[in-house]
Amino acid sequence: MGYSLSYGRMNEILKELQQNYRVYAPRRWAGRGRYSDTDLIRYGEIAAVEEVVHDEKSDFSPKEIIFPITQPLFYFTEDEYRESRVDDQGLLIFARPCDINGIRRLDTMFLKNGDSEDSYYRRLRDKARFVLMECGTGWDTCFCVSMGSNRTSDYSLAVRFLPDHLLVEVRDEAFKRYFSQEREVEFTPEFVTSNPRTVRLPEIDSSGLLRKVYDLEMWKEYNSRCQSCGACTAACITCSCFTTSDLIYNENARVGERRRVWASCLHEDFTAMAGGLGFRATPGERLRFRTLHKVYDYKARFKEEQMCVGCGRCDDRCPEFISFATIINRLSDEVERLKKEASQEVAGQ
Amino acid sequence: MNHDLDIKKLRNHCYRQSKVPGEFMLQMRAPGGVIEARYLSLVQHIADTWGNGLFHLGMRQTLSIPGIKYEDIPAVNRYIKQYIQEIEVDLCGVDMEVTEEGYPAIGARNIMACIGNIHCIKANINTTALARKLERVIYPSPYHIKISVAGCPNDCAKGHFNDFGIIGLAKTEYDYDRCIGCKKCIEACAKHATGVLSMENGKIVKDTCCCVGCGECALVCPTGAWTRNPTKFYRVLIGGRTGKQTPRMGKLFLNWVTEEVVLRVIKNWEDFSAEVLEHKPVYLHGGHLIDRAGYNRFKEMILKGVQLNPEAMVAQRILWTETEYRSNFNVRPVNGVRAEG
Repeated sequence: MGYSLSYGRMNEILKELQQNYRVYAPRRWAGRGRYSDTDLIRYGEIAAVEEVVHDEKSDFSPKEIIFPITQPLFYFTEDEYRESRVDDQGLLIFARPCDINGIRRLDTMFLKNGDSEDSYYRRLRDKARFVLMECGTGWDTCFCVSMGSNRTSDYSLAVRFLPDHLLVEVRDEAFKRYFSQEREVEFTPEFVTSNPRTVRLPEIDSSGLLRKVYDLEMWKEYNSRCQSCGACTAACITCSCFTTSDLIYNENARVGERRRVWASCLHEDFTAMAGGLGFRATPGERLRFRTLHKVYDYKARFKEEQMCVGCGRCDDRCPEFISFATIINRLSDEVERLKKEASQEVAGQ
Repeated sequence: MNHDLDIKKLRNHCYRQSKVPGEFMLQMRAPGGVIEARYLSLVQHIADTWGNGLFHLGMRQTLSIPGIKYEDIPAVNRYIKQYIQEIEVDLCGVDMEVTEEGYPAIGARNIMACIGNIHCIKANINTTALARKLERVIYPSPYHIKISVAGCPNDCAKGHFNDFGIIGLAKTEYDYDRCIGCKKCIEACAKHATGVLSMENGKIVKDTCCCVGCGECALVCPTGAWTRNPTKFYRVLIGGRTGKQTPRMGKLFLNWVTEEVVLRVIKNWEDFSAEVLEHKPVYLHGGHLIDRAGYNRFKEMILKGVQLNPEAMVAQRILWTETEYRSNFNVRPVNGVRAEG
């Protein structure tokens, strides 16, 4: 069912929704961008629907709402502990198709990866409902169509922002009551059907080929280009790595908390072990790990889909202009070359 | 040629005497060093029509055209009238009457600036915009003042060698929960700045005493934990200069002041100069004026009527770093014998 309503009415409905939900959307933090006099667009709670930045891609994804950057797990004293708590408010998140598809990848990582679910993820994830935002024509770094993540039906509401009014599709029965007074119209959201960038995915079909991929010269080029800052992983909707540590409070060493904080496979200490061991010493190796995780081994493990959803935020955020889309295409070319060489070797024998 | 030329009068109209008798170099102002590129055709026209075909990128970012003959100066002045109108009055809002006599004063020198944040990834401020606002404050004062505006504490604009060096600062703010403890800001601060960041319990602590406001932490932070306070802040250096006898680097006068403070301080310079020079606008670097008045008198006059913002810090004293050119006390002749001559 679709509705047409004014911004004013939508804000009244927003107030009603906020009785039960914390409403998050990409918002503008003026002057808080990486460079001076640039804005930062990231998720935050909104007070009015006009605050939603719908015509630009956000710098950061909505993953931080259900997978907080810093998350206390439990607090402990000498002989007892208490788990951290979350409130009863639901989470209503304005999100794009790629992000909603990305959160399905996070679900896989946190809930279907091994025998036990991650309860700290589960307790926030269960509260989350989505308001789908249309992308119009998308942006020049998007490659969602190549990754098959340009469409989704996993949303409660969908919204089209027009200059003086909004079109809303109510897909989830639970939200119908909020819109009962509104004018009904035909509306279903439109999805991006092509991107300026097309990405070809590598078909790595043997461990022998994978071995050769590890040793490709192309990774070494990134040793000088990549600064290992981790901006790509922080922006990525599907990066789910974190570090768990115990924090002892300064004021009282018998009291503390266990928390987890996002980690990045691009950082030098990501694989640091006792004794000074580490497995990926160079930026190129770390970028190789990230690439293969996003477009090879996640799918090899979970079968259904690649991890990368093609949101392109890694390209947007990389201060060194390393394009992940280009890396994937380069890798695909290299894999094709390796395959051709292997078949020629077989033929020549 | 006419050998009876009033060199000083010509200089006041921004024509500099050449070693070639009767020739002059016109120095056209370009406040902040940024103008629309279309004006370059105007410069070329002057150089080709009245100059010797050469163009100098002036040391203070003037558009300098040498080889202009004295007899042609009235024609050149008529030709640059529109440029002066468009740059000084229309663009910078300078309160002046544009005549066919060319530039009315040279005292307040062209304001220099790095490219600033209209381009540079490191810059904290729009140096061009500030230079244009300052131009409105200082021009066409006959009193000498040299200002350079730098977008960040790297000071590519060499504010340290101007009467006033104005340096754009970022007051970065830290969001504890967004920080992932990756230490990239610590490394950046240690490498580029003063190393005021350190790690405690997986998060960052900052020694606010000695942050130089460069903004490197915000540049490198992958999660947006460090962001810039959108309010622009400035460091003001005073007394820097080059020169044959006593070149010296400018020293910190104000730190973490707002643009409003900067503009008000610079506005007070003319009154200060007038007092020290007994109302005779002669060419002396600002540092000499401060020395004549004494720092405390300078501070009193330059901060007169200035409402300092709460973050502002003011130098209690200035420890000048003098060169030894006048005494040569750090150098000794080779073999202990001073060569003749």
